Order: sequence, then C-alpha cells, then structure tokens
Amino acid sequence: MNTRSLFPERGPAFWGTGFTALIASGTIFILFVSLVIESVPVFKTQGVSFLWGTDWFAGEAYGALPMIFGSLMVTAIAVVLVFPFALGSAILTSEFLNGRLRLMVKAAMELLAGVPGIIYGLMGIALLTIWVRDVFGLIDGNTLFTAGLLLAVMVLPTVMTLSEDALRAVPGEFRDTALSLGLTRMEMVLKVVVPQALPGLAGAVFLGLGRAMGETIAVMLVIGGIDRIPQPWFNLFASGQSIPSKIGREAAEALGFDLQWSALIALGLVLFVMVMALSLAGNLLLRRAR
Amino acid sequence: MNRRLFKERTLLIALYSLTVFGCLVLAVILATVITRGGPALSGTFLFEEARNFGLEGGILYQIAGTLILMTGAALVCLPVALGSVLFQTEFLHSPPLKKIFRLLIYSLNAVPTIIFGLIGYLFFGVFLEAGVSWVTGVLILAVMILPTLHVSIHEAVESIPDHYREAGLALGLSPGQQMRAVVLPQSLHGIITGTLLGLARAAGETAAIMFTATAFSGVRLPQSWTEPVTTLQTHILVLAQEAANPIALTNAWGAGLVLLTLVFILITATLWIRSGLEMEAER
Repeated sequence: MNTRSLFPERGPAFWGTGFTALIASGTIFILFVSLVIESVPVFKTQGVSFLWGTDWFAGEAYGALPMIFGSLMVTAIAVVLVFPFALGSAILTSEFLNGRLRLMVKAAMELLAGVPGIIYGLMGIALLTIWVRDVFGLIDGNTLFTAGLLLAVMVLPTVMTLSEDALRAVPGEFRDTALSLGLTRMEMVLKVVVPQALPGLAGAVFLGLGRAMGETIAVMLVIGGIDRIPQPWFNLFASGQSIPSKIGREAAEALGFDLQWSALIALGLVLFVMVMALSLAGNLLLRRAR
Repeated sequence: MNRRLFKERTLLIALYSLTVFGCLVLAVILATVITRGGPALSGTFLFEEARNFGLEGGILYQIAGTLILMTGAALVCLPVALGSVLFQTEFLHSPPLKKIFRLLIYSLNAVPTIIFGLIGYLFFGVFLEAGVSWVTGVLILAVMILPTLHVSIHEAVESIPDHYREAGLALGLSPGQQMRAVVLPQSLHGIITGTLLGLARAAGETAAIMFTATAFSGVRLPQSWTEPVTTLQTHILVLAQEAANPIALTNAWGAGLVLLTLVFILITATLWIRSGLEMEAER
C-alpha cells in the first residue's frame, strides 16, 4: 500500500496538521527514549542490582527496591480502600439515579477530580497524619497507610467515572430480559449488568491504579520519606517512600548530570514502565467493554 | 418474596450510603479549605507581595505566577492539540492508524506528571537553555495538558453530523476550507471546554513545575525569558512543610483557598457549557 492512497490530499493543511500530530504522538516515545538514555550511567555503574538494591545513599549506592515496594504498597492500599466506594456509587448513579441527581453526582465527581494535588497534600499534612496518628496510636502519622488513604480519595473520581461508563455500556436488552424474567432491579444489576461490565470495571481499576502510582505531591508530604522496606514488610503503619515521592524530594538538588540524577531518571523509567503497563491494560479492557 | 424485598432495600441503602460518603468527601474538602483559609484572606493578602518567607504580606506574585504558567501552557498547547485532532479526523482514514493514534494520546495522558518535569527540564531547561524558568514551566505544562485538550476537541469534532461534512464536500471545499468553514465552527464548544479543563489541570499541577520553573522567595514578575516565577502551588508546598508554625499553615490554607476557587471556577464553567449543550440537544 503506498502512502498516497492513505493520504490522498496534500495541501498546506495536511502538512500543518500533520506536523502537530507528529508532536502529539511522538512525545510519548521521546519521553521513553530520554528516560532510557539518561538512566544508562546508573545501570552501567550499578548493573541491574539497581533494581533490587535496598540502600540509597546519594554519592555511594543507589538501590531502588524500597521505592518500588513503597509505590506498590500505597497503590494497593488505595485501590482496596477506594473500590467499594467507587463501585457502589457507580452502580447507583448508572442504574438507579436519573435526571438531576445523576447530574449532581457526576458534577461532584468532576469537581473532586479537579482538586489540585497540593490541596490534598495540605489536608494530609495538617489533618490526616494527625488523625491517623491518634486513631491508631502511632508515634508518627506519616505512614504508607496515610499515603494510601489519601490516594484512595484522589483516585475515587477516576475509578467511579470510568466504572459508570462501563456499566452504562451494557446494552439495555440485557436489563429488559432480566426484568422480564422476574428479577428485582438489584438482582438484575448484580447478576446481569455487573458480570457483563466486568472487563470494563477491571479497566477502570487499572487506570485508577496507574493514576495512584504516579501521584507525587500529596504522597510526598505524608509518606514519611524514609527509603526502607518496613519490618515486617506488611507493616502498613511505618514510614516509607514511593518512586514519585523520592524523585520529587531529590530532583531539585540533583538537577544536572551526575550519577544521582541518572539514578532518579532510572527510578522514573521504572515508574514509567509500570504505569504504562497498567494504562495499556486498562485501555484495552475498557475498549473491549464498549 | 419478603426476603428478596428486604435484600433489595438493604443493598440500595448500602449503595446510597457509599455514594453519599463519596460526595461528602468533596463537601469536607470545601468546608476545610474555606474555614481554614477564610481567616487569612484580606485585601492585603491578595494584593501584596509575600515577605519574610511567606509569613507576612500576601500572595500577589504567586497568583500572577500561576496565571502566567497556566495561560501560557494553554496558548502553546491549543494550536498543537487543534492541529493533531484535525489531522486525525480529516486526513487519517485507516482505522488501525486511528486506533494507534488514540492509544498514544491516552498513554500520554497516563504519564505521571513528575516524569514530564524530569524530561521536560532536560529538553527545555538544558537543551533549549531556558534553565529553571517560567518558559520551561509553560512548555512542560503545555505538553502535560495536551491529552486533555486533544480528547475534548476530538469528541466535539467526532460528534459533527455527517451531512454537514457532505454539504461541504458537495460544494467542492478543499480539506483546508472544510476545516475552516465546517469543522472548526461546529466544534467550538469542545475547543472551549477542552481549554478550560486544560487551564484547570495546569493550575493544579505542582510536581512538574516545582523544580523546573519556580523559586520560593524574592521573585516578582519575570523580566526575561530565563527567570523563574513563584506560584500558588509551590508556595503552599513550602509553607505546608512548616506545618508546626500556625502562621505558615494559615497562609498556606489561604493560598489553597484562592487556588481551589480558581480551579473550581474553570471546571464549573466547563460543566455549565456542557449542560447547556445537552439541553439544546434535547430540544
């Protein structure tokens, strides 16, 4: 197939828009390639042990494992906490509410999605860390759990809105058939609509996970900022560190070209790969649902 | 039958309480920011510059910095987003290519903002030699909000009825004329809502600009291309880390209230335009 049949007309409009389209679609590759190139120095000096080293001392050793662990942990906490709320409100909005109420819930979610991360961070540092400390009787409220809790609130609108889309994408005939068989509305929802929308719901969760994993500023302020894996590892009420939080804390001092900068970029690469995997899986599942 | 009815009712109540709880979160955030930030607000707070590391004075230049960065980002982003949407809808006819293009834009949307900061600094700060400056910040934010604008404009263009285009084709319009006469005017609402959402996203972003575009104290309006600005977001960030000092915290909440108001005005405007369109469509 020659390109002329793909793009029959080639006026200035074609070249102009084509150029901007190239920028828009090429950016993601530029990001990936830059991350790879800039992280070469640290992989050269440390080898792949960068990925499972547990010590990070700027200038001496760079080990990413505590940050990788922290990221996975806070993301897991967030998704466990947010799922019942997101699914519950998505089911209610899509299947039981109509007209004004539905619009109101949707508008609330849009506003919630727009609250800047730094506001969540401020609420976290001024209120949430103190609540967590007092409620669970801790010495320090800056824990993995606090960060997970904050992230759960932050990704609620994402997971809820996408779940609602997935539920509404189930064709009306399925509902009519279920009702005509004598199921109640709730039985219809739980036994027909939700199972049908399952891939879409999974997609919503994956995209929510991706959002949570990349969130920087709010997590940075409440996670404690200590580069270690808690003892024992499932201790949620210990301080930790996530990848974006680590980058956010050290990027300003490492700005430039030494090994610490390269190590931070390598952390960014690890984060990028994990988030892209989640996002691709999520988008494919959502596409299947439609 | 009664047991089924009971189960139905209980589950419905459970769903309502989960939803109400979710919406309460928004109310709690609003109430907290207003009650804690309200006392800080005053004429001097809004219209004076910060002194003594944000403990005295106001946030005039922080507000200006946030406005500069978000407006600049939207201005840079809009032509690129518009062009790439038009290319996708007017010239890209093969379905697999369209799919790939969409997937690339969605992937860009998922990229953590801190990565835009890291790589953006390398490109704009180091290679373009803009350094830590407002220009670097504007360019980074422009790339970051590109998917937001793209998706919104794309939706609007896709929803133009086919017969509008057919009318244009029947008149013998070239693709360029078709864009100007049919596509752009008919997707204006998408362009506006997309830009507003992009502005809101740029105003709320901290991670991508905190080490690439901003400085904390002693900064006014930038006088050259390579000077940093100070913004509401980074101002709150620094003050929040001195949470033990009640004055710092009050001023952080005050700046937070201003930022939240700005973002919510933008989002409410988007929702308002959209709901107006929906009503028009129902008529």
